[in-house]
Amino acid sequence: MNKIRIGFLGVAHFHADNYAVAIKKLPNCEVVAVYEEDKDLAKEFSKKFNVNYYENIDQLLKRDDIDAVIITAENVKHHEYAVKAAEARKHILCEKPIATTVEDADDMIKRAEKAGVKFQTCFVMRYHSTSILVKNLIDEGRIGRVVALIGTNKLNSSLPLLRRWFTDAILSGGGAVMDHTVHLADLIRWYTNSEAAMVYTEIGKNVNKSINVEDNFLTTLIMENGAVGHIDGSWSYAAGLYTWGDVTMEVLGTEGVILLDAFRQNISYIGSEKPNDKLSWHYYGCDCDLEMIKSFVECITMDKKPVASGFDGRQGVAITVSSYESAKAGKPVRPK
Amino acid sequence: MPDKLGVAVIGYGFMGTTHISAWRYIDDCEVRAVVGRNLEKAREVAKKYGIDAYNNIDEVLRRRDIDIVDVCTPTSTHASYSVASMSAGKHVFLEKPIALTLKDADAIIEASKKNKVKLMVGHVLRFFPEYMKAKELIDQGMIGEPVIARTFRGGPIPEWSPWFLDKTQSGGVAIDLAIHDVDYLMWIFNKRVERVYAVVKKLVHKEITAEDFALINLRFENGGTALVEANWALPKMYPFTMRFEVDGTNGMITLDNQSPVPVKLITNEIVGGFAPETLPWRPAVHPFPVDPFYRELKHFVESIKHDKTPMTDGEVARRCLEVCIAALKSAELNAPVNLPMREG
Repeated sequence: MNKIRIGFLGVAHFHADNYAVAIKKLPNCEVVAVYEEDKDLAKEFSKKFNVNYYENIDQLLKRDDIDAVIITAENVKHHEYAVKAAEARKHILCEKPIATTVEDADDMIKRAEKAGVKFQTCFVMRYHSTSILVKNLIDEGRIGRVVALIGTNKLNSSLPLLRRWFTDAILSGGGAVMDHTVHLADLIRWYTNSEAAMVYTEIGKNVNKSINVEDNFLTTLIMENGAVGHIDGSWSYAAGLYTWGDVTMEVLGTEGVILLDAFRQNISYIGSEKPNDKLSWHYYGCDCDLEMIKSFVECITMDKKPVASGFDGRQGVAITVSSYESAKAGKPVRPK
Repeated sequence: MPDKLGVAVIGYGFMGTTHISAWRYIDDCEVRAVVGRNLEKAREVAKKYGIDAYNNIDEVLRRRDIDIVDVCTPTSTHASYSVASMSAGKHVFLEKPIALTLKDADAIIEASKKNKVKLMVGHVLRFFPEYMKAKELIDQGMIGEPVIARTFRGGPIPEWSPWFLDKTQSGGVAIDLAIHDVDYLMWIFNKRVERVYAVVKKLVHKEITAEDFALINLRFENGGTALVEANWALPKMYPFTMRFEVDGTNGMITLDNQSPVPVKLITNEIVGGFAPETLPWRPAVHPFPVDPFYRELKHFVESIKHDKTPMTDGEVARRCLEVCIAALKSAELNAPVNLPMREG
């Protein structure tokens, strides 16, 4: 069988590199092209992964030998790129958040559906062996009925500074709320089989006063089934932290509790170059990027529905947008 | 001032007996009496420590060799015992929370002012070594300005002390448990809370009247924020756990009472082995030679001897209670509540 050939539309998100590395490890797909507005970035990516780069998105999409695209551009560009990709009948794997407005998200999904192409959202936690185990334990009834889910998806504060657009609301749509609400929101939806009925968000002052977007927040969700969710996706961990951040969740049930710390599997390393050489963590756990790409390719080749669908991505956007509304109004908001 | 300050402890439950043993290590004091509703039980405790037993506070308050009354009774009774003691000229050490209502708290504070006696409320977290160290580092500027924090405090439902399960006596987790972290957070942020949004629920234990779960979002007057989780809804084998994490403008601090435990016991009977009814639970919570209860009581004695205001006086304790009451109110209304609030 032919390999699934993939083009990147935008590589401004550093996840693009991770996905390209994952694709290289898989036998049934390959990266063949990249389009990126930033020429330097485009050249760098094209060289690193030995692929053609295009200065014009339509030229890339015109190529008949490209089956699918991965959209890892700045958040606000997702919509335009996804619309074009759907028109060109390419399957779509879209970085989260899939859009910065619910209207854009709905439009993207509608057009992909109409074009008959797959639309998968990069909710990597749906493909992580540990979060899948949690899902299975819940579904087996091991902790009774799930009543509260309190999560962190906090980030080392130095990371959003690596690519300037993360802290430029015109390109990102916002700061930590926009970037780090959706993974936990999606886990909460998945684990409860329920949608958010109510969102309340506190956005405090910044840890990093030199950036113009919010870098921390606390979001409370009340789900339709009555379960309580909480999301802390702050970019507020100190820059000297020995790792990038975390995904943790306390899943409280009527008959037990599950504690998830998804990226806890690390070798500790301490250098001896200088007396204060810091501890650093080196991960050896599940490669969820790889699992996600594998699943995407499988959707295309075996005509399956994506595990994390466009609708899941859309619901994340709805919660994110409601968070901003709530923080602004100082009251709970019902997501659209 | 007498050679030794005489102490009477009201209440012989978990906290009463913990305090009696701590008092015995404080040189300047002598525990002389224990008071409880059940005289037989009080006598049992009294015999163990070689002190007097009463089932009535009035007789104790008449004793001139009693200088300090330590109130370790259910929270709903705090006001009556402490006001009576202060009116009799006794200094009062009062277990946290100060009371269940702001009205009671005000009466307690007023009694201490009127009778010119010391009042301290047992916000003991400030005397736990790990929390003391964190405060010390923050005050040294190690993390810059504190910006966003999260705390966790939880374990199985405290079945060993049934009054905790009664909302009218303990106020539930939002008051009884969360108040520890509310006090600590206000202390390290050194700011008042201006807004509270909370979810307070009976998640697992429907059979009791007290709520077993509280998630409290705090917003401080300087724009700092914090999440307080107080949880009695955990399974029986869950070790009593406290965690604290704060991110500042120039660093972060985390602590977790489960990771530095120097002694763990695991047997064929107990998986993980840290249920509260088992012996190892205590050393797991206090793995240090100087116990926090000793430290807080010692602090109180020093404040009496040197005529100073105790670190956690009535006003501090009232502010904590106000935040917790606001949390209950917020949960009831499903809306944020601004402080200061009017009760009712």
